[in-house]
Amino acid sequence: MDFESIYKTYWQKIFRLCMGYVNDNDWAKDIAQETFITVWQKLPEFRNESSVGTWIFRIASNHCLRQIERHKRMPKSNLPVEIEEVKSVNNEPKFNFLYKCIAELPEIDRLIISLELEDIKQAEIASIVGISEANVRVKIFRIKEKLTKKFEKYEY
Amino acid sequence: MNTNIDFKNLWNMQEMAIPDTKELFEKTNEFKKKSYQKLILANVTLIFTTAFILFVWYHYQPEFITSKIGIVCMLFAMFLYLFVYNQMAIFLKSNNYEMDTLHYLQQLLKLKEKQLFLQTTILNVYFILLSLGIGLYMYEYTCRMTMIWAIVTYGVTLFWIALNWFVFRPKTIRKQQKTLNELIEKFEKINNQLVQN
Repeated sequence: MDFESIYKTYWQKIFRLCMGYVNDNDWAKDIAQETFITVWQKLPEFRNESSVGTWIFRIASNHCLRQIERHKRMPKSNLPVEIEEVKSVNNEPKFNFLYKCIAELPEIDRLIISLELEDIKQAEIASIVGISEANVRVKIFRIKEKLTKKFEKYEY
Repeated sequence: MNTNIDFKNLWNMQEMAIPDTKELFEKTNEFKKKSYQKLILANVTLIFTTAFILFVWYHYQPEFITSKIGIVCMLFAMFLYLFVYNQMAIFLKSNNYEMDTLHYLQQLLKLKEKQLFLQTTILNVYFILLSLGIGLYMYEYTCRMTMIWAIVTYGVTLFWIALNWFVFRPKTIRKQQKTLNELIEKFEKINNQLVQN
């Protein structure tokens, strides 16, 4: 698979994963681009030991985690509220609320639920994150429960 | 309520136009440039300082062995610092993003702990060697002074060295440690999320 087709196939998926992690358009775009820079650099060495998808999602997840080091450089809380509101691409409140809820979860949960919503098999999620499949299943169940509760409160 | 389908539908509504690959490659170059700038600056500064010290040695032709040992100590301090700084830059760049999250976090933790140790140890060795070098180098020239001036010269220099050792050095170390410790703590917290059920 050449880089161009990987880029086209995975851009939206990787962008959504990053968006679920930081819930900030520009920041998510930056992380997604950093991910594809790594993909581009490492593609010649890629040996198909895992599927391309697993490999790319691993790189993206690790780039997301790396943001902790950069968090101080661009603290989201310092942004004026108006700017954050203008930045929303879509006005669909429910959809924004979902991303907001996910970005508030603990870091690993954000990654797991984003991968699950991206329709990645649980076995593959396990291999991306490095925990057992059973553990992934339990975590997904709990996260969905949490999200459902938040949505119930939101709706009523 | 079938939460599964609902969440997935909502999730997929998020879209961002695919940026041109040109933009991506421009970013790669910019990123590379930025990461090398600091490294090049540190190397150039220390190489110029080394050249200056060598010029002093050549131009003033010190006679005492203490002066020569002093210069060697200073040069050694600078080369040691430069060597470790370069090694660490390469080491920090060797980040492997292709492993799973659990192993990636462990790699990051090890990296940061090593960085913490290196920074503290090397900074101490650098300060000791540099102070020793200055102290030894001065001996030859203070010998030619009157006793009072020699005491004043050594007094001022020792005061400056003490100020560096007791005030600036711990301050730098504390600052470096604070940033790294905070990061290590955060990584450990995330690591615990993976370990716990």
